[in-house]
Amino acid sequence: MNNPFAGDHSSIQRRETAARWLLRLGSYVVVLTTVAIFAFITVKGLPHAVKPGFLTELTSTLHVIESKDGKVFKTNPVEADVIKKRLGEGFQSEKTISYSGGGILGPIVGTALLVVVSVSVALFLGVCCAIYLSEYAKKGKFIEMVRLAILNLAGVPSVVFGLFGLGAFVLTAPVLTGTPADRAIFVIPLGFTNLSFQGWDTCVLSGGFTLAFVILPVIITASEQCLQAVPQGFRETSMALGATRWQTIWRSVLPFATPGILTSTILGIARAAGETAPIMFTAALAFKDKLPWQKDLPPLPADAGMFAHWEQSVQRFLGIFTESVQALPYHIYTLAAKIPQNEYSEQAQYGSVFVFLVLVASLAATSIWLRIHLRKKYKW
Amino acid sequence: MPESVPTAAKPAPVVQVRDMDFRYGDKTALHGISLEVESHRVTALIGPSGCGKSTLLRCINRMNDRVAGARVSKGEILVKGKNIHDADVDLTQLRRQVGMVFQKSNPFPKTIYENVAYGLRVHGVKDKTSLDEAVERSLTQAALWDELKDRLNAHALGLSGGQQQRLCIARAIATMPDVLLMDEPCSALDPIATLKIEELITQLARNYTVVIVTHNMQQAVRVSDFTAFLHLGKLVEFAPTEELFTNPREKLTDSYLRGTFS
Repeated sequence: MNNPFAGDHSSIQRRETAARWLLRLGSYVVVLTTVAIFAFITVKGLPHAVKPGFLTELTSTLHVIESKDGKVFKTNPVEADVIKKRLGEGFQSEKTISYSGGGILGPIVGTALLVVVSVSVALFLGVCCAIYLSEYAKKGKFIEMVRLAILNLAGVPSVVFGLFGLGAFVLTAPVLTGTPADRAIFVIPLGFTNLSFQGWDTCVLSGGFTLAFVILPVIITASEQCLQAVPQGFRETSMALGATRWQTIWRSVLPFATPGILTSTILGIARAAGETAPIMFTAALAFKDKLPWQKDLPPLPADAGMFAHWEQSVQRFLGIFTESVQALPYHIYTLAAKIPQNEYSEQAQYGSVFVFLVLVASLAATSIWLRIHLRKKYKW
Repeated sequence: MPESVPTAAKPAPVVQVRDMDFRYGDKTALHGISLEVESHRVTALIGPSGCGKSTLLRCINRMNDRVAGARVSKGEILVKGKNIHDADVDLTQLRRQVGMVFQKSNPFPKTIYENVAYGLRVHGVKDKTSLDEAVERSLTQAALWDELKDRLNAHALGLSGGQQQRLCIARAIATMPDVLLMDEPCSALDPIATLKIEELITQLARNYTVVIVTHNMQQAVRVSDFTAFLHLGKLVEFAPTEELFTNPREKLTDSYLRGTFS
């Protein structure tokens, strides 16, 4: 039979096949890379991460002792002395590897604290800004400028944020103090105390505020989209019932935007937890042998009243935020870049990376689950 | 209205529009509209799409304030004798006394009770008893009480389209407004639900002054006492409904009613 639609198969078909395979290959590369990274880190890191104490102990120096009969002991500084004494003549050699012993409780706690502070600050500022942009601001030059600023903020390299945090929060942010430090840039006397611009030092607060600015663009953009997604009819109806603008926002806009805002916040958490550069100069320590709340406060007298105990608890709580901490991403950086690499340093490295990866992946998963769940619940 | 003494038999008009021009930016949407809405009557605004009937309606509770560049450029609107554009007019109080029902039924995704109580809550009513009373009264007046009294805490979006629109009416009358503005309240409803709303509108006129925008001329005949016909932003004719439909004064009205143009 004569085919009126016969084409030049040879060349067209070949190009078609080539295009399909190119696209397919590109997708495969992406998937394979991701799988490879996860698999590699899981294989290398999981065995170390599940060792007892890895998630519940503080970081310490790893001591590796070899005996003459070829035995290898991996232990902490205290145990090391005991083993050396026991080996006596049999002692061959000892290696110490910094930061690679013990567990990573310190970095986990530090990252958690940084995330709490940064997300609280970013949520407050971000939601305020988003509400203003979405509900109050009139279209015009100013709004365009604000949007441009947000866009630019998103493009700032994280190390610049780190240095900004160093200058703004560590060195100049104001504190209330009776005795201003010498390095204070200027001091405003308030009578009962002084407002001294001497900075907050490297601490959770400084790091948290710095991270807040890193995730602010994400939060503002997402919040604004969520607010815009609330039907205009809700606003009109509310206003027609005599509600003021703020009443309308508070009662009929914000409640319906909240699920979306919270979902996107979780992605902000993952970002804040993962950044290294912003906390390098503002909050993170390579090593710390105490948790932030394990601080030596002067012992209370035996007859101290309830109030004194209460006051000390508050002091202890607030003290958490003025301590520097270890943090997971910075810990990984330290392990990878600041100590000599050998077969023994590897375990802590992969263990930490694995825990970190699981943490971030589970946050992302929570966000997806929350989105699906809340979408079902809040439909209009 | 204690201040303005009504003349003999006829009560003073609740809404007076006096030679009003309305603009969206450079475009004049309404030209020299003058209209008096009588108390406790239903006044219908009819006309082809884009004639300005919704704009006129939204002028009465100043909902157009939300639109950038929209303003009354000439003339004035008086509600209960007061120019609503005066500086000492509080918008929230105006809107409390001039309620509005929209084309699309749009209950909040909250409970039935909270929907009806919304207007009172934003005006600071916290007392449970007065809220309960207002909810019952409003739902009764909106012919919903018997259907819904046992599930006041059910989600409003679970109601049928017609019920939702009646709930919106109940919500609008909960603050006991003097005037109730309705912007094509039946256009998204099926005929049976429409019929129910129309019945309701005639009943509402006992307690409220109703101004309704409709594109359905039969509806205007069924529910209204007065009808205003607008065309291209001008008020062509304003008369008692029966008169306007049976014996229109203007040729334009006549041809619109006959359907020679739309």
